[in-house]
Amino acid sequence: MAEFEVMYGNQAIAEGAIAAGCRFYAGYPITPSTEIAEILSDRLPEVGGVFVQMEDEIASMAAIIGASLGGLKSATATSGPGFSLMQENLGYAVGSEVPCVVINVQRVGPSTGLPTKAAQGDVMQARWGTHGDHPIIALSPGSVQDCFDLTVKAFNFAEKYRTPVIFLADALVSALQEKISVPHSSELDIYARPKPTESPEDYKAFAFTKGGVAPLATFGEGYRYHVTGLSHDEKGYPTEDSALVAQWWEHMHSKIEDNLDDILLYEEKQLDDAEIALIAYGGTSMAADHAVAIARQQGIKLGLLKLQTIWPFPEKRVKKLTENVNCIVVPELNFGQVRSEVERLSAGQAAVVGVNKADGNQITPAEILAEVTAQLRNTP
Amino acid sequence: MRTATQRKTAHTDTWHTLMKVISDAAAPGDHAKLPLILTSLPELPEQDFPGPPISFIHGPPGRNIALAIGLGAALPDTPLLLIMNADAVTLGMNHLIHAARRNMGMTLLILRSEVTDAVEKSVVKRTNWHSYGFQESIEKKATPLELATSLEASSVSRGSIDDVPQLTQLISAAMAKPGFSMIGITSENRLPRGILSHTDLPEYFESYRRWSASLRQSMRVSDQSANPQPIVDKQNLSPSSRNVPRHEIKIAGIGGQGVKLAGSILSDAAGNLAGLWTTQRGSYGSATRGGPSVVDVVAGSRRIGYPGADNPDVLVVLNENSLQQFADSVKPSGYLIVDSDQVTSVPAKSLAIPIIKIAVEFVGKPIAAGIVSLGCIAAVADFVSLEAIKEMVALKLPRKMVAKNIDALVAGYTVTRTTLMGE
Repeated sequence: MAEFEVMYGNQAIAEGAIAAGCRFYAGYPITPSTEIAEILSDRLPEVGGVFVQMEDEIASMAAIIGASLGGLKSATATSGPGFSLMQENLGYAVGSEVPCVVINVQRVGPSTGLPTKAAQGDVMQARWGTHGDHPIIALSPGSVQDCFDLTVKAFNFAEKYRTPVIFLADALVSALQEKISVPHSSELDIYARPKPTESPEDYKAFAFTKGGVAPLATFGEGYRYHVTGLSHDEKGYPTEDSALVAQWWEHMHSKIEDNLDDILLYEEKQLDDAEIALIAYGGTSMAADHAVAIARQQGIKLGLLKLQTIWPFPEKRVKKLTENVNCIVVPELNFGQVRSEVERLSAGQAAVVGVNKADGNQITPAEILAEVTAQLRNTP
Repeated sequence: MRTATQRKTAHTDTWHTLMKVISDAAAPGDHAKLPLILTSLPELPEQDFPGPPISFIHGPPGRNIALAIGLGAALPDTPLLLIMNADAVTLGMNHLIHAARRNMGMTLLILRSEVTDAVEKSVVKRTNWHSYGFQESIEKKATPLELATSLEASSVSRGSIDDVPQLTQLISAAMAKPGFSMIGITSENRLPRGILSHTDLPEYFESYRRWSASLRQSMRVSDQSANPQPIVDKQNLSPSSRNVPRHEIKIAGIGGQGVKLAGSILSDAAGNLAGLWTTQRGSYGSATRGGPSVVDVVAGSRRIGYPGADNPDVLVVLNENSLQQFADSVKPSGYLIVDSDQVTSVPAKSLAIPIIKIAVEFVGKPIAAGIVSLGCIAAVADFVSLEAIKEMVALKLPRKMVAKNIDALVAGYTVTRTTLMGE
């Protein structure tokens, strides 16, 4: 049976990681993510895992890749400046298909910015921060409950699709204390890393399977394979054969695109009869949720699509929404990073407007409602 | 000086010789004891590389040492062998320093170590950059072997590709020795060979595993002997069946008044002891003292959703700025509690309580202002009792601070009740 506990967001992320089977953490402390490291430095040795404070975020990212190749579910946590440093090795993990979870508790940037203040300015960095036209998964928690539940999902996705998963939190949820329900371990769906069944001679660590991945053998168990950041063949040997490189890319994109039903997570609130809708994610979705409750009391047919998976973007669901409502309001703590995606999908079907802020202050339900009301006045 | 073609041929020969040395050194049959090789050199063995199943990681240039740290944590029995050239000692110099000073188990082979370690200049000429000559003229050598020695690495040695028996022996010995070891490989015969320095300090992850195993052992012992009581009975935490509407509480002051702690205590009391759903959200600046410090607590019998106290049922203000900023947001049915000594004028329809004065009187410091504020809140709000707050204060504060703070809490409560009745 689930237990109820009052937790901070960062604490729920750390506990979610332990529950998901994370047994290695390497990181460098940075506000507002530091508590995740602090808690894991206590919790990991208790469960037989390893915590190590590294010299910087470049090394942290490299170390979690190494530990994951060594068979341990691995994670690091950081904030904007550290996330920038991780991009180099993040690309290596994408290309060499190494499962890992990278937690970025967003604060106001660029550079050192406003260290203690929440922002959502890294949405596009999570998608395109490392170079190359690569696939990625990014999840964004909209409550402390999400911090726990989605962290478990993040580890599962990382292992299932052999990819880094970006956990795009923000200081609104990470520093929030909330009572949550913590499922018992028997109630949790944990994806254990499968072992290869074929003989070492036949093993292809990087099989170009469409829509899936090969099991990742742990070093030292008799399987020889090569890991490289170079374009490679199915055994991991570098290749410049364009036919092989094309197959590799097809595999890389299809392992995500063919599994969108599993990967795309979102919650809907009162969208059935909505005439105007909010699309929100992360800490801002809490204000959006409240705005819907107040609007409904006032007789305004407002609904909410709360995105938990940010990348890949839930294109079909958003497109359908643009066909069913007159207007979509996207509140976010940046100048329109998700709004631009919604505009692209709407293609003129529904009006798309933002409520935007990047000064360290939060977006309130009143500000969202003011925009909703203004849009209703504009609608004939 | 050798031509580029001569250098490339020599390099390839070195690689093939090394592969043979490593294969010879590897223990066939025990896969866990085979070395894992990390390198960023472009050379990789051909696909049908004969011999035992040695795997390669062709890591990002300069980052193999950091990768090896994760592998070292995960694979205690697998020797990690890093074959590196100048990128290890220039691009990844910081990783080298930290792995060496922590004595993390791995063996670094530095090829052509004379480039960085010898009588010659340290810059590797990789481009036709025309000012290369200038850089060469001003830079000092990188000297990684001396660096590793000064960081008390497990072993530091130098061998030559021209003396295969000695090199094989050096590599086997280094891989067998726990901790961080480094072997410079050079054909420069003016440099001394053999073991240059060694220590017997504990390996990092070996020590970590010993420490954490003893930690787990002592946890099991204390579980059995002390059988500690949980701080709160988790069965009592399930949300209450009583119908409590959403309550919004805001305490606003400056850093050093204990505002954040007070919010956390209130939220814990409501969530853990009163069986309500709760949230607690703080806002503070980078400086912990003197900057604005505001905390919002929301509680009720339904899941909270939005954690902002935008229209508080109770607002406590501890300075003039907070009064200006938030006074108008209080619900018409709500309470505005003002520290009368901290504002220029007390608004009508507010409760004037000398909160900081009470804090100083009972605890000696303004840091207890947050706790006094909780007494004031308990006096006007009924979603959480004074008793529950007392209990949480006792749980969350250091033991010797509890009595004084509970006195301050009760004083806040009593003064507020008296003020209410006087109206």
